[in-house]
Amino acid sequence: MNRSRGNDQLFQELCRDIGTNRVHRDGASQLLYSRDGSAFPGGIPGVVCFPETTQHVVDCIKAANRHDRSFVPRGAGTGLAGGAVPCDAPLVISTTKMNSILEVNYEKRFAWVGPGVVNLDLTKSLTGTGFHFAPDPSSQQSCTIGGNVANNSGGPHCLAYGVTNAHILAIEVVLPDGTLVQLGDVDGHASGYDLRGVFVGGEGTLGIATRIAVKLTPDPPEIRTLLLDFMDVADAAKTVSAIIASGIVPAAIEMMDKRIVNVVEEFVKVGYPTDAAAVLIIEVDGLPEGVKIEVERIQSISLEHGARSVRVASSDEEREQIWKGRKSAFGAVAQIQPGYYLHDTVIPRTKLVEVLEAVYEIANRYELIVMNVFHAGDGNLHPLLVFDPQEPGVMERVLVAGEEIVQVSLDAGGVLSGEHGIGLEKKRFMEKLFSEEDLAAQKLLKDAFDPDGRANPFKVLPSGASCSEVNHLNQLPDGAWV
Amino acid sequence: MSTSLNLDKDHLTACISCGLCLPHCPTYQTTQDESRSPRGRISLMRGVEDGLMPLSKEVIESLDTCVQCLGCETACPSGVRYGELIGQTREVLNSHRKVSFRLRAGLWILLHMRVLLFGSRVLAVLQRLKLVPNKALPVPSRIPLRGVRYVQNDDPEVILFTGCVMDVWLSQVHEAALSVLDSIGVRYMISGNQVGCCGALHSHAGFRSTANKQALEVISALPSDLPILVDSAGCGAVLKEYGSLLGTQEARIFSSRVYDIHEWLINDSKWRESLPARRPGNKKVIVQDPCHLRHVQKAHTSVRELLTPFVECLELDDEGLCCGAGGAFSVDQPELAKEIRDKKLKSIQRAGRHLVVSANPGCMIHLESAGVEILHPIQVVAEYIGGKEDHE
Repeated sequence: MNRSRGNDQLFQELCRDIGTNRVHRDGASQLLYSRDGSAFPGGIPGVVCFPETTQHVVDCIKAANRHDRSFVPRGAGTGLAGGAVPCDAPLVISTTKMNSILEVNYEKRFAWVGPGVVNLDLTKSLTGTGFHFAPDPSSQQSCTIGGNVANNSGGPHCLAYGVTNAHILAIEVVLPDGTLVQLGDVDGHASGYDLRGVFVGGEGTLGIATRIAVKLTPDPPEIRTLLLDFMDVADAAKTVSAIIASGIVPAAIEMMDKRIVNVVEEFVKVGYPTDAAAVLIIEVDGLPEGVKIEVERIQSISLEHGARSVRVASSDEEREQIWKGRKSAFGAVAQIQPGYYLHDTVIPRTKLVEVLEAVYEIANRYELIVMNVFHAGDGNLHPLLVFDPQEPGVMERVLVAGEEIVQVSLDAGGVLSGEHGIGLEKKRFMEKLFSEEDLAAQKLLKDAFDPDGRANPFKVLPSGASCSEVNHLNQLPDGAWV
Repeated sequence: MSTSLNLDKDHLTACISCGLCLPHCPTYQTTQDESRSPRGRISLMRGVEDGLMPLSKEVIESLDTCVQCLGCETACPSGVRYGELIGQTREVLNSHRKVSFRLRAGLWILLHMRVLLFGSRVLAVLQRLKLVPNKALPVPSRIPLRGVRYVQNDDPEVILFTGCVMDVWLSQVHEAALSVLDSIGVRYMISGNQVGCCGALHSHAGFRSTANKQALEVISALPSDLPILVDSAGCGAVLKEYGSLLGTQEARIFSSRVYDIHEWLINDSKWRESLPARRPGNKKVIVQDPCHLRHVQKAHTSVRELLTPFVECLELDDEGLCCGAGGAFSVDQPELAKEIRDKKLKSIQRAGRHLVVSANPGCMIHLESAGVEILHPIQVVAEYIGGKEDHE
């Protein structure tokens, strides 16, 4: 098929259906929408669409069907696993302009929002109402709720509040054939299989969400944020297990090691101890009396396990700065090196000490810098391998080291991804985790939603064919940036 | 067409496209389009530098629509030096495409004080005769009819930098600044008409050689080691940057003498001694930070510190997002500037019906032309500190 002639026809029809100003196919747009926040150099979108209504999305998908094209849904492009990277000249459907909060129902504690609403914007718009949206990925100031649904995103506070799936009541979805359906129900009365639950975490391979009903979570009456520092990473890891073992489930437990603390402190200057081997950020919330008791217990448990000091944030501003540091961590790594590659495995909390030791050992062996910043409370690791992509041969070492880190995590009883999704980047590891039967069953599920394989192809499931335009990480083209 | 933007490769690769800049970019916030975002613009610069992208119409539009508020620099955890990248890029672009007549004419007038003065007087008369529709031009709604004759002290301790447009259009701000200095007993002189334009808008629009020429003139016109106080955030920012623009020791020394007036006052002992024991009333003002004060000079907190003894300062809920004035941006990109301003107006509305203060003439004019009641912070201070009975 002649793609360029097909592209002309497709482009014209899209312009007719959703308006010329909402359809781009110039070289600049093609370059910009060729990648997301991940290390993948990217393919090339055929056409980039900016729908503003559900009907626009239906029109886009119907046009894709008429022209036998695939489509890639895209939120803010902050994904870390190549989930929004286009393969095979698809329509890239950016939902960023569908960013209205459509209905807020305080009585029933839910809100209908467009998929392009930015996570933090929703919570900010609820300021003063006594409610917030609980999932808080580190990129929450930029990422969209549509993207959160696609990746079933987590965040520090998901330790106590649950990940995105626990906060989505219903989703209006355009299926890959252009049919509009609603999955789930705001009153919780949906019967039959929980297809809403299937769609959350579907990484855009099952259709596109056009309206999302999210749960509103009441603000806790009291919040305390603690910053603990340790001279030994293992002591910090043991403290995490000990706290949970004592029966306390804090709202969040985050760990950052020395290297990441140093770059973060350079940015926020809130007084993170830069000589410590690791810090823990622990947040407790709830009724004031309970919070007070939990803070005291956490202080004594952590001191017993080798904490050098425990600082309790004394103002909202200090709390915010501590969190700002944590949430800027990925973005700050370019202070050290301009390239990074990270994994997102989840391991049993009790194995933290040994897996972390193994991660440092692997990085040392391959002469790579590793920075650890992660959701310690639920064992969701984020080992960041940072490097200069211009250094000859470094990519090979990064990839092998990455694979070993994954293997160590799986051997410890872990899984591939906590929150970033599989996307393009981790699908090569799927066979390590799942049997052939498991993968065949997942493929049946995908086919039930998308028999023609149009929705975000080449993602999640390993397949014989691969995205022809995406150069695999270890075959970077000249001049590519990582 | 393959063109080099001559950008520093390390600065370019420092952006890892994490997207944390997106909420702090006024053009991304109004368009939700990557080509109007800092990381998008950096990706395009990289595309051009790597020979993957020609300097196409779309690439130029993307780079031209940047307000250069530098909110992204403040937000970037990796410290990407976006300002240097876009500044250099603009300079190269200026030799590749036609600069709009409006922009060229505007920048030319700033360098020709007599034309500026004459034109402004004519405009002032036409305004009084109601022959210029309000909001038709990016100028204040009531330009003063005649120039002010500032009284100056012998043996001055400081110099007030009066600049070009501000002196002609908003001389009341300079008068307020001088009255504050007067009332606390600081002796001053003004830079005056002989010194003229600082070149901020030229530098901002990518005409660096003109800006450098102005910098040399300003430096040689203001010898001595007196502190130079500036009540325009945009001018203050560029005066502080002369050192790095020219790269000479003389320029660096000059820049080290420059202070935003709020920044200088709060550290002055005479000022601190003159403060009222308690706030003289319960007036509230909304503080709108000029980007050149917040993201470039990083001196925005001094405005609040200066005002707080007299009025309650209310914050906007947009974390210092630009108002769309952006130096010559509102002249060059009027549509987008208006859309950005609409967001700011909503934020102001959410903060309540109060007077807005902003320490930069561009922001004052841009917001005033949308009907916002706005003053320079030093004007508010002057109202209080002038009337002694209010706080004794």
